[in-house]
Amino acid sequence: MKLLIQLRTPTEMASYEGCALALTLATFGHDVQLSLDASVFGLLMQPASRLHGMIQSLDLYDIPPAWLPDDVFSGWALGMLPHDVSAQLTLIPEHINAAEFAQILTF
Amino acid sequence: MTTAAPLLLITKDPSHPLAHLALRYARAALKDTDDANAPPLSVFFYADAAHTANRLRWQSADQLDITKAWQTLAADHQLTLPVCVSTALSRGVSDTDNSSRHGLSGDNLATSFQLVGLSELALMMQEGRRVLQF
Repeated sequence: MKLLIQLRTPTEMASYEGCALALTLATFGHDVQLSLDASVFGLLMQPASRLHGMIQSLDLYDIPPAWLPDDVFSGWALGMLPHDVSAQLTLIPEHINAAEFAQILTF
Repeated sequence: MTTAAPLLLITKDPSHPLAHLALRYARAALKDTDDANAPPLSVFFYADAAHTANRLRWQSADQLDITKAWQTLAADHQLTLPVCVSTALSRGVSDTDNSSRHGLSGDNLATSFQLVGLSELALMMQEGRRVLQF
């Protein structure tokens, strides 16, 4: 199943739980794409946050780089984050066919 | 084409309107079903929805007790009520086994609810069924 999981809630627990679900589903063979809203950038920037650590390891779960909004704030975040995290992130494509995803989940 | 019963992935706190909508959806879907057959839907409580499984949640008389409502639905339709164990524990909802394992005093998991691993949800979704998030 191809899923898009959007992380939008700026709390450590909500971002962790959304990302944990993504990693678990990927482990079970689902095709998962993460999308991070600017509201979780504060957590992403904190090396001690679980979101930071899980994003760092997306490739270990065969999850493609997580999408960030295509704006100046994402550019700033990508520049500020260490390379092993920023390498797991990319700007959201200009055109997305939402119908490609069997499910879109939001946390 | 997906023919498996839909899965209701409930993630909102029981006070959220979507949590009540999920209950209404389940009631409508189960209304005219034959109890001899498997329920035509599955549910899974994740994230803030784990609060639903807290038997110590008190509600004033004029409010719907959503925990009891799910228990009634489960009893009437042989519906299982799985709750993600890690999201439940992080919100102070625990059963006897997990309280013992993690050194917690007491337990408060409401009857009919079951604490399960997140892998259970992955397996439920493995069947290619339609998932509705509330």
